[in-house]
Amino acid sequence: MIQLINIEKIYRTKTIETIALNKVNLQINKGEFVAIMGPSGCGKSTLLNIIGLLDSPTAGSISIDGQEVSSFSNRKLAAFRNFKLGFIFQSFHLINDLSVLDNVELPLLYRSGVSGAERKKKALEALEKVGLSTRTKHYPSQLSGGQRQRVAIARAIVGSPEVILADEPTGNLDSVMGEEVMNIMLELNKTDGTTIIMVTHDDNMANKTERIIRFFDGQQVN
Amino acid sequence: MLKNYIKLALKVMLRKKYYTILSLAGIGFTIMIITVFATFIDQVIGENSAEPERNRTLILDKVSVYNQGKKEDGFPSIHFLKKYVSDLESTEVISFITNKSYISFSKGKPTGHYLVYTDEHFWEITDFEFLEGRSFNRKEVENGDRVLIINKRTREHFFGDQAATGKELRVYGEKFKVIGVVTSGAAFSRVNADMILPYSMDKNLQGLEGPIQGSYSAMLLARSDNPKQVRSELRAKMRLLTNKISGADSLKAYAFTPLEQFAKSSSFTDQEPEYGKTAISFFIILLLFMLIPAISLINLNLSRIGERAEEIGVRKSFGATSATLVGQLVVENVILTLVGGIIGLALAAYATGLLVHIINTFDPLFKMPADSFIINWRVLALSIFSCLVFGLLSGVYPAWKMSKLNPVYALKGGQNHD
Ligand SMILES: Nc1ncnc2c1ncn2[C@@H]1O[C@H](COP(=O)(O)OP(=O)(O)OP(=O)(O)O)[C@@H](O)[C@H]1O
Ligand SMILES: [Mg+2]
Repeated sequence: MIQLINIEKIYRTKTIETIALNKVNLQINKGEFVAIMGPSGCGKSTLLNIIGLLDSPTAGSISIDGQEVSSFSNRKLAAFRNFKLGFIFQSFHLINDLSVLDNVELPLLYRSGVSGAERKKKALEALEKVGLSTRTKHYPSQLSGGQRQRVAIARAIVGSPEVILADEPTGNLDSVMGEEVMNIMLELNKTDGTTIIMVTHDDNMANKTERIIRFFDGQQVN
Repeated sequence: MLKNYIKLALKVMLRKKYYTILSLAGIGFTIMIITVFATFIDQVIGENSAEPERNRTLILDKVSVYNQGKKEDGFPSIHFLKKYVSDLESTEVISFITNKSYISFSKGKPTGHYLVYTDEHFWEITDFEFLEGRSFNRKEVENGDRVLIINKRTREHFFGDQAATGKELRVYGEKFKVIGVVTSGAAFSRVNADMILPYSMDKNLQGLEGPIQGSYSAMLLARSDNPKQVRSELRAKMRLLTNKISGADSLKAYAFTPLEQFAKSSSFTDQEPEYGKTAISFFIILLLFMLIPAISLINLNLSRIGERAEEIGVRKSFGATSATLVGQLVVENVILTLVGGIIGLALAAYATGLLVHIINTFDPLFKMPADSFIINWRVLALSIFSCLVFGLLSGVYPAWKMSKLNPVYALKGGQNHD
């Protein structure tokens, strides 16, 4: 499903050069739930952004679904993100000016041929899955952290992506709410077969996944 | 898609009140000025209820006489017009009319009136609404009857709210009988006079009017919508006069519709006018005028990039291309300017009234009617067009800049670019 070959990411500024990823080789299969762990600054987010096609590696190649993406145009990358990927962020990143429903509909706006009614229907289904179908008219500021993250999950799954990329999705939540969010993701993985790649610092969360990949200083250590 | 953009735009506007008020004030003021200016120009060139045929009415108000290498420009004389311009085949009707002359009556308070002399055809080319009475006819013009038509405000001045028909007025010391009262025309139009008299009563006829040049103009109502035909017939006629009139080796007569007169680049040729340059300079002036407020809005928009970086990052993560984002942000800005434009139009409606009031205060003799500036559909179209240009002018660059945000940085709240 996802294959990384010799991925390198080097951040260069005038004075320093940071090697965030050093020759990473990684294969993630369809339907896997993978946890990525490692100390702060070891390159986890960098890796996730590269897999998520939000950032490009300095060297190496990535293929998703058998397609080598480094040669893709920006337009094609955007379409790829739209159809195949769904993001969940540590700090939710909901758009405060939009209602819950509008936030969840957002990815479908960038798909041609999806009618307003269809968008709404799919968004409501996604909100149903995360147990928030009664909060559609609320605004993000009117929700708790756990609820916000569930809205973010609904947004990530509304377009039925094959892969969900979650960067510390429970990092800003207390343990109860974190648990809830984790259970939703486990359910998604089990019933829909969605591939999930999750960065976490929490051993409890990581232990619920099928595979833990550990990083240290830009390199995979297991 | 568009519906969503509009929805979002309105939401953003409502939430960011300070930004919205600031932008709307700037846009509103700009559009107000443009609209007021446009109502003024429209007065001068546009058709109105008293002049419904303005676009095929050519005004012949200049004749150049070339004599022994010298050229002299001036108004044509009534004799010249009658003799050489009264039988053009390409015209339906021709009317002769003097320039407005100013006449002051004092009757308690100061007041001034404009007076023109013309013929019976004047009433065929114009379409004044008669509040009472009738126009003068050919016989009255030929006989030199002492009749006159006045407009509403003149009636008010002399007769209050009573009917004026049949009553007498003194003009330059002679008694005239009022036979009709008309509504006022467009304030700055040459046909909008307070008193309209048969030209046979014009005292200048003996004095100022020479064989070629004098103090008259002709209004030529073209048969077709194409004023070129009239001009080419006129040119041919003038050529025939070469070396035929003493004191003139050759002649040129200039006749243009009010719109052509306004829009043509040069007033020194009787050839077909060119509009290109004027259109371009008009557009450039419009742009320059909008430039400073637009730059302010650009700055305001740029200063909000940081504020909106997160949103941009999210949209990009979920598949928005740079092009779609530019589209969204530009539409947002255009909607903002359109709302500002509506405010500007409302302000303009108020400002035109105020302007008339101020003009009348400084020049009590002039007494311009309160509805002298009208926002009609032509003015409205120009204002909306200006709004759109303004929206694009101020929206495209910030939108482009925002759309270039690198999503990873944007989500961190930063501003670095790809
Ligand atoms: N834009 C950047 N410019 C320079 N260096 C960067 C940039 N982004 C990340 N880095 C560096 O790359 C390394 C990896 O960063 P990354 O954000 O991937 O770490 P992380 O594993 O996600 O850490 P955390 O657990 O704290 O989120 C760090 O040393 C960081 O300082
Ligand atoms: Mg991180």
